Amino acid sequence: MDRPETVAQLTQLLRDGGYLADRGLSTALFVALSLGRPILIEGEVGVGKTEVAKVLAAVFGRRLIRLQCYEGIDTSQALYEWDYARQMLQIRALSQRELDSDEAVDKLFGPKFLIERPLLEAVRTGDQAVLLIDEVDRADDEFEAFLLEVLADFQITVPEVGTIKAETPPLVVLTSNRTRELHDALKRRCLYHWVGYPSAEREVEIVLAREPGASEALARKVVAAVNRLRSLELTKPPGVAETIDWVRTLDVLGVTELDAGTVDDTLGAVVKEHDDLELVRADLDGIASGG
Amino acid sequence: MVGVLVDFANDLRRAGVAVGSGDVLTYCAALALLDPTDLLDLYWTGRTTMVTRREHLPVYDRVFRKFFLDDPDALPEPVKLTLRVTTETQSVLQVPATEPGTESLDEQQVQLGLVGSDAEVLRNKAFAACTPEELAALRRIIARMRLAPPRRRTRRTVAARDGRRPDPRRTVRAMMRNHGEPSTLHWRQRRLRLRPLILIVDVSGSMADYSRSLLQFAYSARRAAARVEAFCFGTRLTRITRALERRRADEAMEQAAKAVFDWEGGTQIGDSLAEFVRDWGRRGVCRGGIVVICSDGLDRGDPQVLATAMERLARLSHRVVWLNPHKGDNRNFQPSTLGMMVVAPHIDALLSGHNLHSLEEFAALLSELS
Repeated sequence: MDRPETVAQLTQLLRDGGYLADRGLSTALFVALSLGRPILIEGEVGVGKTEVAKVLAAVFGRRLIRLQCYEGIDTSQALYEWDYARQMLQIRALSQRELDSDEAVDKLFGPKFLIERPLLEAVRTGDQAVLLIDEVDRADDEFEAFLLEVLADFQITVPEVGTIKAETPPLVVLTSNRTRELHDALKRRCLYHWVGYPSAEREVEIVLAREPGASEALARKVVAAVNRLRSLELTKPPGVAETIDWVRTLDVLGVTELDAGTVDDTLGAVVKEHDDLELVRADLDGIASGG
Repeated sequence: MVGVLVDFANDLRRAGVAVGSGDVLTYCAALALLDPTDLLDLYWTGRTTMVTRREHLPVYDRVFRKFFLDDPDALPEPVKLTLRVTTETQSVLQVPATEPGTESLDEQQVQLGLVGSDAEVLRNKAFAACTPEELAALRRIIARMRLAPPRRRTRRTVAARDGRRPDPRRTVRAMMRNHGEPSTLHWRQRRLRLRPLILIVDVSGSMADYSRSLLQFAYSARRAAARVEAFCFGTRLTRITRALERRRADEAMEQAAKAVFDWEGGTQIGDSLAEFVRDWGRRGVCRGGIVVICSDGLDRGDPQVLATAMERLARLSHRVVWLNPHKGDNRNFQPSTLGMMVVAPHIDALLSGHNLHSLEEFAALLSELS
């Protein structure tokens, strides 16, 4: 599959891959694919931001290259690195005469000694890759500057080698949980899409697509209960990922009905904060009935 | 068609969404691929290409409705004026029995509690009410204050004379200069960085006299330190970090005054702090940072809410400093309001911040909070 012709086609493709995207997300992804622009996806925790990149890679048969961001991430972990140990051995092995020739030194900084990191790998792979830059807000803001060249022109400049440019742009998906505001320079280079919680109806569909073994009646009940939890002003409201986890948990236990007892037993799948647990335990019946 | 789209982008700009020419180009290019007569395509494409902030989404929706649908409902939100009875007795009844010396302070608590207003007043109060001479004098002095939040060691490394990690890149380069002879080993060191500073300023009625200078203080801090977030609260929490980004102090203060709705209304410290923890703290705004709360602790809400919020806040942040103007110059100040007694176990330092001198004291203390 090369590229979808219409938004509807893309939506169907994603659906086949087990991902139900709404019209907004599909349009955003369609534009990103067609114009070759990176897309920045922000949203609540556990609404499928990372998942969309995985599914895109799967349905287009592209390679998923993932860069997980963390504080202190550097060019040597994100872009490229020289294989210093081999370089040193090589230098030691060269004779005095060989060292004087430019060629031998050039070789030292040739492709043989260059270790590809995710961004360089993605640039080299071009449109056969989906590059996922996950949780970019976790990296410190200095790191965003490294990304700018890649995102704007899909190229990387290695001082010793020159500029390496992607022949065809890879699809780049950035995700952020908004723990901090990203720099405008980064946002300028991306399309932007905010993913919220899906409607109850849609969430049931998502659960059934992800967990085909579950009964629709149970899925409906769980979704209603989760929606009730979200309205409780919890410190950490459950995402769609938690809904699916909960259905799975109930499935493993062989539970088919949701009542106060089972909610209490399986609460760990959805509520992961001590203070929240107390708040939820006070209203188990209300949650089980989803009312 | 392009003309229409450009007009739409111009309307967005007028409504305050920063739309660059490049974004408009992308919008037009994207629509060329899609069906410009399909309203949904028109909507979503514009939203994904021209909006880069979640806060701008409602503005976009409004402008879109007005421009393409000619929706007469696209008026600005009416100014809300609501009256709400707050649970005043609750704050006195739920004094924790384990707190030492509460009985003798009960009376005082009731008196002080009545200073705050029962009505939640949602209105904009102009900074113009402050005399210009006062403001200018304050600004000159506060601007001279240098805030230095404590620093922490980051995971990022920089080349250094000595350190714990070798720097292979520089070492190999040096080797080659010496025809492959290993000479000196180069090192990298972990970098130091300023901790973020988070100011949460009470602008309610009981704090009105102080809130202006504290806001000015927030502005100076914003200009001085590396990462500063500023929030205001009365009956509800407002983030004013963006407003304080203005280059000119006057403009920044004006923006901040506009952003705060409940200027000089009642106080809901517990609810406001709980909101902060829920909406901002959880996302990591104050993680590893110094949280500075300026308030007199005259809470009109449930003390249990305040206690829980403070406990969480203390766990999320590196240090919590409370500035209470009622402390004054009194060195042996004992917190007498219920709110202050509830928060006392969770704060690392209690200062006054009622005049410039005490603000200077605070600035000096800040760098020692590591």
